[in-house]
Amino acid sequence: MTTRKARPMRITHRSGAVLATASIAVLLVTGCTRGESAGGPGSDGASPGITDDSISIGISSPLSGPTAGPGSCTVAGLAAYIGAKNADGGFEFGDGQTRQVEFTYLDDVYDPARAVSNFRQLTNDGIFAYVGALGTPTNAAVMPIAEEEEVPQVLLTTGARTFSEDADAHPWTTGFLPTYVTEGRSFGELLVDAGQPITVATLAQNDDFGESYLDGFNEAIDGSQVEIVASATYEPTDTTLDSQVTELAASGADVLLSAVSVTPLQVGVLTKAQSLGWLPRVFLPSNTSTPGTILEPGGAAAYPGVYTPSFSKNPNSPAFAEDEDVQAYNAAFEEYGSQIAATYTPHCAWSYAEGAVLEQAFAGMEEPTRDSFMESLRSITDFQAPMLLDGITVDTTSSDESGISTVQLVRYDAATGGYGPVDGY
Amino acid sequence: MATASGTAPATAPATTAPRRRSPLVRLAALLGGLALAVVLVVAPLVSSPFINYQLSSIMVFAVALLGLNVVMGYTGQVSLGQSAFLGLGAYVTAYGVVQGWPLWLSLVLSAALPATVGMLVALAAARLRGLALAMITIALPIVGVPLARRLDEFTGGSQGQVVSFLRAPETTGLANDQWRYYVVTVIAVVVFVLVRNLVRGRVGRSFAVVKENEAVALSMGVSPYRTKVLAFTIASLLGGLAGFMYLAVVQYTSPETLVFATSINLVAAMVIGGSASIVGTVLGALYYVLVPVVAGQVSSSRTALISGAVLLAVLFVLPAGLASLPRRVGGRLRRRTPAAEGAPATPDPDGTAPAVPTPAAASTDRR
Repeated sequence: MTTRKARPMRITHRSGAVLATASIAVLLVTGCTRGESAGGPGSDGASPGITDDSISIGISSPLSGPTAGPGSCTVAGLAAYIGAKNADGGFEFGDGQTRQVEFTYLDDVYDPARAVSNFRQLTNDGIFAYVGALGTPTNAAVMPIAEEEEVPQVLLTTGARTFSEDADAHPWTTGFLPTYVTEGRSFGELLVDAGQPITVATLAQNDDFGESYLDGFNEAIDGSQVEIVASATYEPTDTTLDSQVTELAASGADVLLSAVSVTPLQVGVLTKAQSLGWLPRVFLPSNTSTPGTILEPGGAAAYPGVYTPSFSKNPNSPAFAEDEDVQAYNAAFEEYGSQIAATYTPHCAWSYAEGAVLEQAFAGMEEPTRDSFMESLRSITDFQAPMLLDGITVDTTSSDESGISTVQLVRYDAATGGYGPVDGY
Repeated sequence: MATASGTAPATAPATTAPRRRSPLVRLAALLGGLALAVVLVVAPLVSSPFINYQLSSIMVFAVALLGLNVVMGYTGQVSLGQSAFLGLGAYVTAYGVVQGWPLWLSLVLSAALPATVGMLVALAAARLRGLALAMITIALPIVGVPLARRLDEFTGGSQGQVVSFLRAPETTGLANDQWRYYVVTVIAVVVFVLVRNLVRGRVGRSFAVVKENEAVALSMGVSPYRTKVLAFTIASLLGGLAGFMYLAVVQYTSPETLVFATSINLVAAMVIGGSASIVGTVLGALYYVLVPVVAGQVSSSRTALISGAVLLAVLFVLPAGLASLPRRVGGRLRRRTPAAEGAPATPDPDGTAPAVPTPAAASTDRR
């Protein structure tokens, strides 16, 4: 009996001591008290994170884990633009000051809880705005806090419509990339413009990603001669889509809209359809249409046409080698971005363009406040950002669209192994 | 020697011999506990929302880890599905909040539903052992994620659900982050006290004996099957409760909450903190929450690398986890005196006999 009585006391002592030590250590290390936190407005009416010669912005993206490639690029492109501009003297602001941009980035591994933690850390360190973060769930988790604390959460690198469809409900949040709805709509418009009866088979991921594509597509073909004659869905965890493709092939549709976001599955769709002797025109989403990883392994050359939406220049493509923007990008990226992102994904170019949009917003900012920044950011029209294709412009004034609300369709050219312009259906 | 130190932390808590206790130690214990309580109460009042978020997260994952420790640390059964219960608890709470249920009902259901699911799974799974059992538990998050995406009426689909609740009542004068911290801390403290008593008592001893040897457990009248089901049920209950706390702190849940990687990270944190140890559970939660933050401060592009290096370093220096640090240091000091030096060899003459550690053996073991 004495055993059981005596034992717990000792444990209490030890656990208590360890816990207390640990907790105190945490407090000491952080050394932060509520009074010191950079939450409130500055004495001269300026928002946190901005002084006469500097402004600090932050981002949390996946820099490790499965989404590390695109995540790192969302940081690297922005870092490249900001680094080059800082070295060039700084950003000019609407209030007449020239400021250096301090850029802080953190890793959230695509985990919403970590993203919230990072956002809290960044605001605690006194950032002015949270810019360009990648990821739907991570940004969705941050959005209500950004609203509550009135911190700009802007130019997000995500195609989900949540962040762009209602500016009145989410005044502090803006999306940057074209939404998946926009991509789907662009497919539909191309078919409608052909002015002839076309039958379509759709294959979509069974979640918001797939639904957004179908919504945009349906919206565009409504009342036209274009008709969906077969449709199928799949789960991202499926290992093969052979049965769906077989079912769709039986319809013999002219066009296949393959809203598949998983690389190996998209390759499987392309190989399966041609093995069944079904050779429709194929529409692929922008994130699963890379020639090297999808089209070549999938034997896309066999199809009469493979289309995908595009809005940025590929800095590695010989077609743009002489382009000034691309040369400036390559130089800046080499200097300031390459140590953050080792391999290129389009996100590098996108986030570089984001830097230019940010510069526009700064230029229109008449007061050093977040309100003024948001107002300026939401009034950019017809801006031709570097690295965007000619004809794609940034317009942030719409309350239900993201910064880039148009895409161009491009068509796969098997001879060059890249994409070229589309001339009608 | 290696065997001895390996098994010691697992069996020690339930089976340790009497200790001489001076009034001084009692006083120190009292003061330690008091200091801890003061720190827990005062900390959020002087800290920024960021610190409070970290402290609250530690509470959340401490409870999730405690559940994992009950089933893995104390009972020795592999569970790689704890994130599924965390996610389920969060979703149940979110559903309750959206439907306008009273908070206590959400709290109860967020624990009861995962516990029921855990028990049903365990009723089948506990007949298996080793890798087969691990496979079944892996299936939970792997099935859970697409399920959460598909049942978007309940879960909000892959975009997840923002749930705003647990705002600080006006009368308290607290900010939301402070109020939420207190709520999760109260839950965590209550849970820790209950589980601590559980594992020190009769149930804890049956966990330990099942972990050591199921045949011996049977011969002692302890049903290994029932014990394992009980451990799994408690683990999933605590996982669900942690899900409630998670939602209270993060205010958002999505299929990412229950991904398999979270389960693996929880297992790693449990091992790092110290298997079958209450203190180790808390240390594991500190590790789970703080190491990524610190790694991010060092280099944001290399968080995974730094976390991995810390993990290896801890396991290399302290194979029994952070909780074994005082014992290791104490052991080093004591080993210098000849009396203590011979002691460890005596109770464990060879590592071959699957002996259930008797109280006496386990205690000398650790001296």
